[in-house]
Amino acid sequence: MSTVHERLRRLLFLVPYVSKHPGVSVEDLSKALNVKREDLLEELDLLTCVGRPPFNPDDYVDIYVDNDRVYVDLDQRLSRPPRLTAGEAAALAAAAELLRPGSGDALQGALQKLERILPAGARERYREMHRKIDASTDAPQSLGPLTRAILERREVTFDYASPGRASEQRQVRPYELLSHRGQWYLQGYCHTRQDARLFRLDRMENLVLTDIPFQPPADARAAVPNPARSEAGVRVRFSKLVAPYVRERFGSDARLLADGGVEVRVAGDSERWLIQWVLSFGGEAEVVEPASARAAVARAAQASLGF
Amino acid sequence: MERTERLLDLVALLLDAREPISWAELREHFPADYGGISDDAAERKFERDKAELLELGIPLTYVQGDDDRRDGYLVDRSAYYLPEVDLTKEELAVLYAAGSASLASGAFPGSDDLAHALRKIGFFAGDALPTPRVRMELGSAQSDPGLSSRLEHLWEACAAHKWVQISYASPKQPAVTERKVDPYGLALRRGVWTLVGYCHLRQGLRTFHVHRIRELKVNTSKPRTPDFEVPAEFSLEAHVAYFPWEHRFHEPMEVTLSLRGDAAQRAATLFPKASVAPEGERVRARLEVTFLDGLLRFCLALGQDCRVEAPEAAVNRGREMARRIVERHAPVSDEKKVSG
Repeated sequence: MSTVHERLRRLLFLVPYVSKHPGVSVEDLSKALNVKREDLLEELDLLTCVGRPPFNPDDYVDIYVDNDRVYVDLDQRLSRPPRLTAGEAAALAAAAELLRPGSGDALQGALQKLERILPAGARERYREMHRKIDASTDAPQSLGPLTRAILERREVTFDYASPGRASEQRQVRPYELLSHRGQWYLQGYCHTRQDARLFRLDRMENLVLTDIPFQPPADARAAVPNPARSEAGVRVRFSKLVAPYVRERFGSDARLLADGGVEVRVAGDSERWLIQWVLSFGGEAEVVEPASARAAVARAAQASLGF
Repeated sequence: MERTERLLDLVALLLDAREPISWAELREHFPADYGGISDDAAERKFERDKAELLELGIPLTYVQGDDDRRDGYLVDRSAYYLPEVDLTKEELAVLYAAGSASLASGAFPGSDDLAHALRKIGFFAGDALPTPRVRMELGSAQSDPGLSSRLEHLWEACAAHKWVQISYASPKQPAVTERKVDPYGLALRRGVWTLVGYCHLRQGLRTFHVHRIRELKVNTSKPRTPDFEVPAEFSLEAHVAYFPWEHRFHEPMEVTLSLRGDAAQRAATLFPKASVAPEGERVRARLEVTFLDGLLRFCLALGQDCRVEAPEAAVNRGREMARRIVERHAPVSDEKKVSG
């Protein structure tokens, strides 16, 4: 996309935005437009040269910064942003698919309303473009209600079965939803465990939104689960055949070996996870140490032969 | 006059005009831009400006005059201004949560478009704008800064139907291959962006992981003329594997699995497209497979609750894999430790 195009789009939004928020601070405005302060000031300079022929003094956009706040006196009919383009609507619709089917009616309703406000000529193009991004991941049903609980700051309860353990009810303050490599997690404070926890959405059952309000901490941010750690105790080796895939996933955490294979150190706090993971390489992965984990993998493979 | 400035002036002029503005008048209004050059050159310049304005969604039309009206260019104001979308709180929350999660992931095709769309739908919301708390992380291969720019270019190429030239590094092949591809669409599966398109080298539909594209060039000649048409029956869903056994490496075969315990209970979630029949304590699942090893590895990870029943070739291959794992994990003898 040309820089002229990007710039024009931004400027056609900038004037109406300031018109609607007179006295908006330069900082807030640059945040709203996602541009740097100096770039914004440059854009504002350019706008003062914009107007319509015959370019009498009253024909120019009168936009100015006073005391670090931005005002517009003459907007030259740039009082509202232009409608959504087909591309904008298509990108928004594709992103919204992320939360399908969890968001149910709300998503459906939003997309119908979006389509209604598209200019007639853009509608067909939008429909065609919409099919070109498919981000419909494995969004679980609970995603919609959880998004709502986070926004409305309501505690939730659900039954949670961690692997190898019977299901039990948890009461949780939901802080943040995180999708990592296509897997959805909820980060929150668990009353049952009295600690911050990460829950996989596909292991939740019987989710209920309670009416118990809470105040989320300002810095609630889920740590991304990554088993690879350089000081971790389990060493796993991968053959040359699968090495490229492992390197893709672990980057520099995957150490290159002389035979073309790679080695990764992972945390061994979940033996069940480790076994499943090593087995899933169908013989192209080998636990080097500790011996106990090696033996556990061998036992598991032996068991599948015996079943 | 700078092009951005001229285009903005044009918008201001056209939004304010009650009567159509003729080409002759436009040339008079912008003497430094459309004047002083040949008629042809001036017209070409204006054509380019017009195309840019149309792409921005500005409903610029040429009206043929009659007795009451003269010929000229006009912008329908009611079609230009964004109307209030009247989204409910919940609808706005869904769009915002999904949109900002996509943007924050650092890799979303059409992210410029998306950012503008979010701003526009938030225009009327004021203080009601929700603070989204949904995040999307795509893992290390996906956080490569080149990925987002490649997605952006691919999105534009998809939208404009322009072919792309890619250098593709497949882990299955030692060398990078150069390919010309007609991009049909992009799909996100398990955190991985996939391009689906017609590959001129292989002469067929192929899928490419976008993070494995080393270099990408979009055909820039005749940017407004499409290079290809996407067949009407094409669907992204049919071409992008969601599960490992859906990669289209081989002819489809039917595989029967026998599940018990935890795996039997979760059968419908584990194998959503399989036909599942309970048989006493067990569950029998039949599914179509185009990449057998992918299925077998998945089954191995499920442990002894999952067994392959048929066909025999699949049973044998599964046993072969399990045996290999056992061999590789045989206890290391002391002698070997000393010498090794």
